[in-house]
Amino acid sequence: MALCDVLPGFICKFPAISDTSIRMARKSIDDGFKALVRSYIDIIDAMVQPLQWFLNYLERLFVSSPWPIILLVMVAIVYFGSRNIRITIGTAVSMFVIGLLGLWNDTMVTLAMVTVCTLIAILIGIPIGILMARSDRVQSIINPILDVMQTMPSFVYLIPVVMIFGIGKVPGLIAVVIYAVPPMIRLTNLGIRLVDKEVLEAADAFGSSGWQKLKNVQMPLALPTIMAGINQTIMMSLAMVVVASMVGVGGLGKNVLQAINNQFFTVGFLNGFALVAIAIIFDRTSQAYGRRLQKHSEIIHG
Amino acid sequence: MKKLLASTFLAAGLYALAGSAQAAECGDVSIAEMNWASAGVAAQVDKFVLENGYGCTVTLVTGDTMPTFTSMNEKAEPDVAPEFWVNSVRTALDAAIAEGRLIQAAPLLSEGGVEGWWIPKFLADAHPDIKTVQDALKHPELFPAPEDASKGAVHNCPSGWNCQVSTANLYKATEAEKAGFTLVDTGSAAGLDGSIANAFEKKQGWLGYYWAPTAILGKYEMTKLSFGVEHNKAEWDACTAVPDCPAPKVNSYPVSDVYTVVTKAFSEKAGVAMDYMKTRQWDNGTVGKVLAWMGDNQGTNEDAAKYFLQTYPDMWTKWVAPDVAEKIKAAL
Repeated sequence: MALCDVLPGFICKFPAISDTSIRMARKSIDDGFKALVRSYIDIIDAMVQPLQWFLNYLERLFVSSPWPIILLVMVAIVYFGSRNIRITIGTAVSMFVIGLLGLWNDTMVTLAMVTVCTLIAILIGIPIGILMARSDRVQSIINPILDVMQTMPSFVYLIPVVMIFGIGKVPGLIAVVIYAVPPMIRLTNLGIRLVDKEVLEAADAFGSSGWQKLKNVQMPLALPTIMAGINQTIMMSLAMVVVASMVGVGGLGKNVLQAINNQFFTVGFLNGFALVAIAIIFDRTSQAYGRRLQKHSEIIHG
Repeated sequence: MKKLLASTFLAAGLYALAGSAQAAECGDVSIAEMNWASAGVAAQVDKFVLENGYGCTVTLVTGDTMPTFTSMNEKAEPDVAPEFWVNSVRTALDAAIAEGRLIQAAPLLSEGGVEGWWIPKFLADAHPDIKTVQDALKHPELFPAPEDASKGAVHNCPSGWNCQVSTANLYKATEAEKAGFTLVDTGSAAGLDGSIANAFEKKQGWLGYYWAPTAILGKYEMTKLSFGVEHNKAEWDACTAVPDCPAPKVNSYPVSDVYTVVTKAFSEKAGVAMDYMKTRQWDNGTVGKVLAWMGDNQGTNEDAAKYFLQTYPDMWTKWVAPDVAEKIKAAL
C-alpha cells in the first residue's frame, strides 16, 4: 500500500550517520571544550573580574541611592537630552508609578544592566560598522557572522557562556550584547554607505584627510541611521534582559520568569509594563537627542 | 496529468486511512515532556510503550510543572503528566481529583523525590567535619559566591519553583546572612545546573538546593547535608513553604510525592493503557543509572528511554500484559 514498501530503503529513510558515531563526536567535542575551559579558567576569571566589579558597583549605586536622587538625575538627563517637557513629565510619572507598584529596586537592577549593555554594544558596534563601511571584503565577512548572532537561539550560546563564566551578571551581559549589537553594526555601516558620493568628492576636493572625512562628513550625515541603530540596540537589550535572568541576572526579568513558571498573570504584566516604560523613556530621549544633534537634514537618496 | 493527481490523492487518502485504523483502539494521546531529565525520560518511555504496545498516536508537549498543571486542569491538555511533583499543587490537584477532572495514577518514583541542600562530594571528603548545613555555614570561604568571592553563596532554586520559597525561608532560618553568605538566584534550571558544572570544572565548593533523581547528580557526585532536625510537616505547611513567612524555623525537606497524573478524557479514550499508568513505577537508583548513562553518552531523552527498555526488561515487563510486552520487545 505505502509508497515506501516498493522503493529502496535509502530513499524513504535519510541515510544518516549512525547514532553511535554522532554520539561519539558530540562527546569528544564536549570533553574537548571542558578541558579547554579547565585549562584557561583562571585567566578568563581574571579578565572579566573588572567588568564584574563595574557591574556590581553600578548596580549597588542604582539600588542603594535614595530614590529621589535617582529620580531627579533621571529627569535631568531626560530633560537635557530631549529638551522636551512632555517626555520629561512622562518619565517622572512612569518612574513614580513603578515605585508605587513596589518594583523600584528590580527596575534599578534592570536599568543598571541595560545601561551597561547598551553602552558596550554601542562602543563595539560603531567601530565595526565603520570598518564594514570602508571595505567590501570586511562587510562580506562580518555579514554572515551578524546573521548567526541574530538567529542563533540565545539559549544555545548560554550553555558555553555559563560553563565558562558561571552564573550572574557577566554571562547575562555577554548574552545581551551578542543579541543587541548586530543592528548597531548594520545600521552604522548602512548609514555611512548611503552618504552621497558627490559630497565626498567635494570633501576630497577641499583636501580632507580620511579621518576628517569620516568625522566631519560621513558621521554627521549618517547620524539619523546610526541613531536608529542605537534605538534598536536599546530595545533589543531590554527584550533580552528577561532571557538573561535565566542565568541569574536579577531585576524585572527574574519576576517575569517567576510569573511564567507560576502562571501569575498580573505579576507578569506589571513587570512587563515596567520594562516597556523604561524602553519608551530610553527611546524617546535618545530620539529627541539625535534630532537635536542633527545639524544637517538627511539627504534623500534617489 | 489530472488522472495522475487524482490517483495520487486517492493513494494518499487510503494510506492515511490505513494509518488511522491501526490507532483506533487508543486514539491520540498527548504526554507532557517536562523540562528536567528524569521526567523527560519517563515521558519517552510512556510514548514508546503507548505507541508500540497499545497502538496510540502520541504527541509530546514540552512543559513545566505549573504551566502544565494549569493547562491540564483548565483545558484537559496534555492528557498525561508522567512525572508530576504533586506537593507544589496539592490543594488544587485534590480539588481537581474530587471534581473528576484529573486522575492520580501510579506513584512514578517508588521512593519519592529527594530534595535538600547539597555540596560536592570531593569537598565533603576533604572536610569531614561538614555534615550538616550549619557546619557548612561556618565556612563561607569554601563556597565563594559567583559575583562576589568575599561572600559565601547558597544557590537558590530556579525562579518560580516552589523550592525557591522553602530555600529562601531555610536560608533565613539558618541565619546564613550573618554567617557571611548571600542567597544567589540561579534564574532557571539551566542556570542552576550550569553553576554546579562550573563549580566542578573549577574544583570549587558549591552549596545549594538540588533534588534527586537527576542527571546532574548522576554525573557529579554530591553529598546531601542534613539540617540537623526532623521534617516537621505542620511547620513546613504553615511557614517553610509560605512566601515571606516572618519567622521561619530550621526544618528538613519532606520526601516529595511524585505521581503520574492523567486527565479524565485520557482514561475514557485510552482505557487500554490505564492499567499501565496505574502500575508503572521505578526507583531512584534505576533512574539515576539511566540518567548517568544518558549524560555519559550524550543521549537524548529518547535514547535513554530505549536504553532503559533494553536494559531493564525485568522491571518493565511487570507493568504490562505479556502480549503487550511482546509487541514492545519486537519494536525495540
